[in-house]
Order: sequence, then structure tokens, then C-alpha cells
Amino acid sequence: MPIPRPCRAELLRRHFSGSAVTRHGDVTRPEPGTGIKLNFKDAKGQLIKTIEANEGDDILSLAHEHDIDLEGACEGSVACSTCHVIISPEHYDLLPEPEDDENDMLDMAFGLTDTSRLGCQVRLTRDLDGITATLPAATRNMFVDGKKPTHH
Amino acid sequence: MPPIKLAIIGGGPSSFYVASRLLSLLPRDGAQSSALKVHVYDRLWAPHGLVRYGVAPDHPEVKNCTHKFDQAAQDPRFRFFGNVQVDTQSSSIVPNAMALPLSSLLPHYTHLLFSTGGSVPILHPALPPSDHVVRALSLVHWYTRHPSCPPAPPLDKISHITLIGQGNVSLDVARMLLTSPSVLEKYDVPESVLDVLRRSAVKHVSIVGRRGPLQAAFTVKELREMMNLGDASMVPLDPALLKPPSDAPLTRQQTRTLQLLQKGSANKPGTTAKTWSLDFFRSPTGLVPPAQLMLTHTMLDSAARAVPTGATSRLDTDLVATSLGYRSDPAQTFYDPALGHLRTASGRIIDAAGRVYRNVYASGWAAMGARGVLASTMMDAYAVADTILADHFPGRVETMAVSPAAPHEFVETQTHMLPEDADLESVPREVAEGIEEGRVVEYGQWKAVDAEEVRRGEVRGKERERMDWNEARAFLEARTSKHA
Ligand SMILES: Cc1cc2nc3c(=O)[nH]c(=O)nc-3n(C[C@H](O)[C@H](O)[C@H](O)COP(=O)(O)OP(=O)(O)OC[C@H]3O[C@@H](n4cnc5c(N)ncnc54)[C@H](O)[C@@H]3O)c2cc1C
Ligand code: FES
Repeated sequence: MPIPRPCRAELLRRHFSGSAVTRHGDVTRPEPGTGIKLNFKDAKGQLIKTIEANEGDDILSLAHEHDIDLEGACEGSVACSTCHVIISPEHYDLLPEPEDDENDMLDMAFGLTDTSRLGCQVRLTRDLDGITATLPAATRNMFVDGKKPTHH
Repeated sequence: MPPIKLAIIGGGPSSFYVASRLLSLLPRDGAQSSALKVHVYDRLWAPHGLVRYGVAPDHPEVKNCTHKFDQAAQDPRFRFFGNVQVDTQSSSIVPNAMALPLSSLLPHYTHLLFSTGGSVPILHPALPPSDHVVRALSLVHWYTRHPSCPPAPPLDKISHITLIGQGNVSLDVARMLLTSPSVLEKYDVPESVLDVLRRSAVKHVSIVGRRGPLQAAFTVKELREMMNLGDASMVPLDPALLKPPSDAPLTRQQTRTLQLLQKGSANKPGTTAKTWSLDFFRSPTGLVPPAQLMLTHTMLDSAARAVPTGATSRLDTDLVATSLGYRSDPAQTFYDPALGHLRTASGRIIDAAGRVYRNVYASGWAAMGARGVLASTMMDAYAVADTILADHFPGRVETMAVSPAAPHEFVETQTHMLPEDADLESVPREVAEGIEEGRVVEYGQWKAVDAEEVRRGEVRGKERERMDWNEARAFLEARTSKHA
């Protein structure tokens, strides 16, 4: 059962609208070695990083917590499709079916695949340990002089 | 490295996404990086383009993207100047905006980006604007209190409205007309608009398109919202229209559209006082006074174009609103009439021979044409930001996607020349004076108005109560004198 959306959107809204904005603090990090492992890969299939998450964390919040270049323009309200990720097939099958509203937004996502989901709607559970979220082809990740971008 | 001092004309989402990307990719403290300034000019006093003056009030979540825009605007390298219309003809000036010729702007900047959107509605040749034919965009401008200030539609006197065009803007307008004001009043809907909606006598909205359900431009999300309207029901469609074709495989979206249309609206037909219909395969040919719409029936040819079947019919209506897409402002310097928008390649402005104007770019609807949701506008904006950086730091940019090829040939002209170096702080004299006189709005002032709108909304139990420019100006003046 996903947590009710208005509530989550409200949380994010408060989180983002503070004046000293940081993207951290949305999710608490588990003790190393005890969390659910999640791999982020870029469009070419190269590993960006493997992170550890708690039960119930969603992929969009985790991406922001760990400085992965995944957008969430509507802040988890299922109204933008910018948080689109491609899930490893074996884990995709373990996820609850997307609701109608998520499917409606996926229709508009870039580079849609059979195992596409909205990152803001995928919540991690123990049995998803080892799941991979690949950023779709259109997402670019670029640095000038190898410098890591700061987040805005 | 010479600095990047970028002027962006237009302050819609495309502009802010480019700005945000540049500001985050070029860290302020980077020893290798060049200095960066981003100055955004908008002809409207308030920023965010169609996110403020387009997105329907009952889609508040869509507007969450402005939080990211606010973050970009907090960067000290960023400035916003509202009420400044750049590079345009006097005939298309919006009320209160100051006209700034391109020649006044250019000496102050090393880089120029057009993010001016596509703001000119395409008219239907058989339906020129009149008392009974309006542009759907003016209805949008009415319910968003756009500075162009169109009159309110006479909803208390009409019962039947026909929308021409089956895209999301049509469905937005239909939803606004068919949703109970008691639902809308908690959103960002101006009180003056709610007053008109409360007196509305509208009973039916027809949404006319010259092709079929599989070609309709609306998205499933918007169609589902229509199906779930609390007070209205859909007139059932001819089942023959909903049979999937045997010859061509359907896309995912087409399949889901057909399923939804087959299911019909949540309210069963005949159970509601208000109704709406999707009138497929109809093309208007004119209006018999006062407001009887003449329609040619159409079908698809082998290239999926609408062609007449020979049959015709008439539809009694009270008001026709056309929603057939947009083009960019033809008065703009790099406008290409054949395209309906500016001529670009990989975000760079080019001339008819494909030669690149050095350091001049375009993004968003101004570059791509007026199509696509915010997600596609954002992806395009990021690609343009990447192109700007790749051009500025040749060979020094790592990107994980394919970089745009370097331009082959440049246009060498004396006009439209940007200096290679510029005073990082300077702005055109007219703009500096406009700030002084309180005619030009900066981002901090917008944020003060924004907070005040939300506060005024809270008092009424709604998301916000919008101000127009006169109210905003009065509020800002009162605030300045208090602080003085
Ligand atoms: C009615 C409507 C509703 C929409 N609803 C949604 C939705 O719910 N969800 C969604 O994802 N997408 C929606 N869209 C699409 C979305 O708005 C666009 O993808 C996006 O706004 C395009 O961004 P842009 O910056 O290119 O253009 P715009 O948003 O149009 O911004 C252009 C800006 O440039 C300014 N400008 C123009 N000319 C000049 C000049 N000469 N000088 C100075 N400034 C100038 C304009 O005032 C404007 O602020 C909607 C579009 C419309 C028309
Ligand atoms: S963040 Fe907008 S749909 Fe997920």
C-alpha cells in the first residue's frame, strides 16, 4: 500500500521549500551492511553507485539523498514522469502493479521500456535487495572538467 | 576562460531549466570554470511562463517544478527582469511591458538564448475570431489572470460550448467549465473567475476533432480526469469508433485510450445535468449566425490525414473556442515562417543555409514548436545547456550521452554581434531605469508577491489569490515605503 500521496507530496513540499535547501534528510541512511541494496546505472548500463536503503524508501528520494541525477519535477505527485527509471526485470516482477495514474504518466515518459516505472512510486522492500534502477537514455549526466555538479 | 554572460529571453520552464542546469554544472568555486551570469527577461511581470499562466488550476502538483526554479533564482549569479519584452514589434507588446530592442541588449552579453515559447494561437481559417468564436487560450488567460486581460466569457448566458481541437488544452478548458466551483474554489482560481463560474449556465461541452480516437492529441491522464468528473457524464460514443484497427498495431497509449473510451465516464450517461462529448471525424467549415457550426464529416486516408466523406451536419452551439496549437511570435528576429518557430540545430540558432550564429541559442517551445509536456521541455533545456557548455569548453566537457557535433560554419555578420567579453554586472540602461521606477520586477520582488498571494489565499481557504500587475505594483510600493 503506497502512503497516501497528498501526505507524501506535502512532506516533499516542506522539504524543498525551506530557505536553506538541501536534498538530504529526506530518508535516513541504514547502518552500513544492513540495508536493502539498490544499484543506480546510467543509460549506458554503467554502475553509478550502489547504495543501501531502508524498507519503504522510494527510489526518487534515494536518488536525491545520494546525488543521483534523477529529476522529480512534481515532487512525487505522479504528475510529471521526469522520475522515470528502468527496473531490473527480475525485480520488476516483484513490484506491485502500477496504478492507473502511474501508467498514465509512464505513457509520456522518455524511452519507455517493459520494465519502466516512476521512481517516486517504487518503494523498496527486503525482497528487492539487489534491485537496479537504470536512468533512461535521454537523461544526460555531464561534468565540466570532471567536476561534480552541485544540485539546484 | 572568457565569461559566459547569458541573457535569456523568456522566463518560462525552459528558461529556468537551462539556467538551473548551467548554474549547477558550473560550480561557483570551480578554479577551472569561467565566470557565469544568467539574466532572464520576461515580458510578463511574473516568471514561469505557462506554469503560472497555462497549467490548469486543478493541477497544482504540476506547479511543484517552480521550487526548482526558485532554487536556481537563489544563486547570486542569477537575475530576473519581469515586464521587459525583448525583440518584438509594438503590435504584440503585452500591457505594461517595456519594449527593449535586441540592439540594446546585445552589448551587455556574451551569450543569448531565446526561450520565448510559442504564444500565438493558430486560428481556424473557417472560424475567424468574433463574438461567438474565441481562442481557447483567451479562456486560459481569463482563468489564470494573464496580463493580456481577456474578457470573461458570458457563461451565464450560454448553455452549449464547442471546443475545436482535441488536445490537452481543450480538455483543461472543458474540465474548468464542467467542474463544480465548490471543487475549484480551493485551488488557484481567482475570485472573479469563480464568480463567473458560479453563475454559469453551461450544460454541454462538445470537443470536436477532425480525426479519430487513435489520433487525438490528448493524453490518457487528461482523458481519465474527464471520465471522473463529479458532475458530468460523457455522451456514449459509437462503438464502431472504438474497434481497434485490424491492420496496424496500436501503441501503448492508443490501447489505453481506447480502453478508457470503451469504459466511458464514471457517471453513467443520463444521470447528470451536465454532459460532454468527443465529436470525432468532424471538421468545421463555418459558422451560421449567430452560432450554428457547420461541420464536414471526415475519414482517414491511407496517410492518416482527414479527408471529407461528403456528409455534413450542423451543430447548434453558443460559443466556439479554437484550440489548434501555437506558433512563436513572427516578429522575432530568428523566426522561420515555414517552421512556425525559431530555426535551430542542436539548440543553436542557424540561418537558412544552416550556418550557426555564434553563441546564440534557443530552447523549449520556441525551438521545438509548441508541443510536449514539461518533461520534454526539461529534457530539451538540459540538452541546450549542455550544448552551450560544450561550445564554450571545446574538448573539456565529459558527457555520458552523445555530444552535439561542433558547428561547421558560422554566420559572420555585423548586426546581431555579441561581444566576446562583457561587464558581468551591467544591464541595459532602460532596464536599470525600469528597476529604479518600479516598472521592472526582480525575482526577490516576485517572491514577495508570491508569498502575499499565498497568504491572501489562505485567508479564503484556497491555494492562493492571484494579483494582477496593478495590485502587485501597489503591494510592492507599500512594501518599499514600509522598509524605507
Ligand atoms: C494551456 C496549457 C496548459 C499546459 N498544461 C501542462 C500540464 O498540465 N503539464 C505539463 O507537463 N505541461 C503542460 N503544458 C505544456 C508546458 O506548459 C510547456 O511544455 C512549457 O511551458 C514550455 O516551456 P517554454 O519555456 O518553452 O515556454 P513558455 O512556458 O511559453 O514560456 C515562454 C516565456 O517567454 C516569455 N516571452 C515570450 N516572448 C517574449 C519576449 N519577446 N520578451 C520577453 N519574454 C518573452 C513569455 O511571457 C513566457 O513567460 C501546458 C501548455 C499549455 C499551453
Ligand atoms: S516525481 Fe513527478 S511523477 Fe515522479
